[in-house]
Amino acid sequence: MTRWLRVFFVGGVIAYRGLFNWIRPAMYIPTMLGSPLFQLIFFTKLGQYAHAQSRDFYVVGNSVQVCAMSSLYGMTMSVANERWFGTLGPLLASPANRAAVFLGRGLPVLANGLLVSAFTFGAGVLLLGFRPGLGALPALALILVITVASCTGLGMLLGSIGLRAKDVFFASNLAYFLMLLFCGVNIPLDVLPSWMSLVGRCLPLTHGIAAARDVAAGAPLSQVAGLVWTEAGVAAAYALAGFVSFRWLEHASRRSAVLDTY
Amino acid sequence: MIEAIELRRTYRTTTGVIRRRPLDVEAVRGVSFCVERGELFGLLGPNGAGKTTTIKMLITLLLPTSGQARVLGCDVVENAREVRKRIGYVFGGDRGLYERLSAYDNLRYFAELYGVSGQKQRARIDEVLELVGLAGREKERVEGYSRGMRQRLHIARGILHDPEVVFLDEPTIGVDPVGARGLRQTIADLVAAGKTVLLTTHYMFEADALCDRIAVIAKGEIVGEGTPAELKARVVEGRVTEIEVFGADQVTVERVRALEGVTAVAVENRDQKQILVVQATGERELTAPILAVLNGVEVVRVSSREPTLEDAYVALVGGE
Ligand SMILES: Nc1ncnc2c1ncn2[C@@H]1O[C@H](COP(=O)(O)OP(=O)(O)OP(=O)(O)O)[C@@H](O)[C@H]1O
Ligand SMILES: [Mg+2]
Repeated sequence: MTRWLRVFFVGGVIAYRGLFNWIRPAMYIPTMLGSPLFQLIFFTKLGQYAHAQSRDFYVVGNSVQVCAMSSLYGMTMSVANERWFGTLGPLLASPANRAAVFLGRGLPVLANGLLVSAFTFGAGVLLLGFRPGLGALPALALILVITVASCTGLGMLLGSIGLRAKDVFFASNLAYFLMLLFCGVNIPLDVLPSWMSLVGRCLPLTHGIAAARDVAAGAPLSQVAGLVWTEAGVAAAYALAGFVSFRWLEHASRRSAVLDTY
Repeated sequence: MIEAIELRRTYRTTTGVIRRRPLDVEAVRGVSFCVERGELFGLLGPNGAGKTTTIKMLITLLLPTSGQARVLGCDVVENAREVRKRIGYVFGGDRGLYERLSAYDNLRYFAELYGVSGQKQRARIDEVLELVGLAGREKERVEGYSRGMRQRLHIARGILHDPEVVFLDEPTIGVDPVGARGLRQTIADLVAAGKTVLLTTHYMFEADALCDRIAVIAKGEIVGEGTPAELKARVVEGRVTEIEVFGADQVTVERVRALEGVTAVAVENRDQKQILVVQATGERELTAPILAVLNGVEVVRVSSREPTLEDAYVALVGGE
């Protein structure tokens, strides 16, 4: 393998084990499995009680959105914790390809996000009677990968910011709840005030969730191609913004010692 | 190998809580020195003198405000990546490690970052673990490591990719005496193997034992440079007499200072006792004249010795 590929894959996994705080089962189970599960049940039951939307609307919306548990919190930790451990200096003093270092950290986060979403979908099937057609599964999986990737991109941006701002987790928290509100997870976008739906369209998840709902209801992938491509574009935009701000911070740190590297 | 030319670095910070005013700290003010291949060069100086700042500029973590530096012929600003590939650096302290990972995984990560290829990694990691005396404990998580073990791991990480030039910023801080001796041997071995080393330390005996040449830096400027022997000779000619007394007042100290041949008198207070460190030119034995002016003061102990690097250092940085 060439060096940067190794940094991307192998380095990404080692760094993830080192930086992701909730990797121990005692933390992982409640944060990555428990709270998504209860979020799913809570909103689905609430929605059914209010007769607002169909059950599947809530199951798909929440099962996709819970990937943010990994993609926002996990990703933020995987970058911002460098500062906490004081490892940023050694990292930045190394000649490693920065894109491989930075983006490589997204891969385990993405995998974990997929796991969290898949688990929540599974719970929807087992506990709530969600029954997508078998034929819809490949398309659903593809949409899920892209949507989790775009959420991970936002996590990268927050992680970069976290290198500078010491307490970034409140921002990750805020982002998590804003996504619940703005991205059509539990409230259809068209009943939101127009500025809110506009914000929602600029965030990750929104287009992916819409596409996932259509596909779960039997629409072919070709019918939601526009949504999927848009979500992919959002993913690229956020990941790029995260990487650019990381590089910018690295430069600013060399110029004016803002990161106080060691 | 390492060339610093008129390096300067100013930090811009702010002061004041309510009305923030910018404040410029001139950490390094025109530092120049040259380190040859295979040399062990020491950078000594009081806290805040600008040693770490100088090193950070040389290892490309900070851009100089002005001046130039080259490491292995590569400019640290223009050609930072090349410099990074070929140098290693180690800093003191217990942070800077991935706490939840084992020492082995910490090293593995940095092996990846430095492009140590897959097949060589294992052998090389085992080798450096052996070298710093962590072999056998490498599977434990770093969070359970003592300060000294962390320091050893820092060193292992710094030399993992077999760099030609190694920067060591207080590498033995927090290490027990026997362990520190081992680490000094490791550093000496590096130099014996042809590496170039730049070292900072607050332990004078360490600098004396290890360094081929030393620069003393105070308030961002070099105030003395040379081999340890040269520094001692330049600053403190002749002998040093130490007198332990009870209750010597300022007037008495001045009388000692005024004696013929005395170049400097430093007073250290220890409990109620005072220790007068008297430096004098020539080989003249000063004990008798000093005791004469000290009459009436209780003298506990008198000793006379060769000057140490610490004497030279204290004289250079102007400490009391
Ligand atoms: N990131 C920073 N921002 C502002 N000022 C800084 C920064 N880092 C260092 N300084 C200042 O620069 C000066 C030199 O610091 P430096 O860390 O280089 O000293 P040092 O010689 O390494 O000291 P020590 O022996 O304590 O390690 C000090 O006055 C310090 O306060
Ligand atoms: Mg320092």
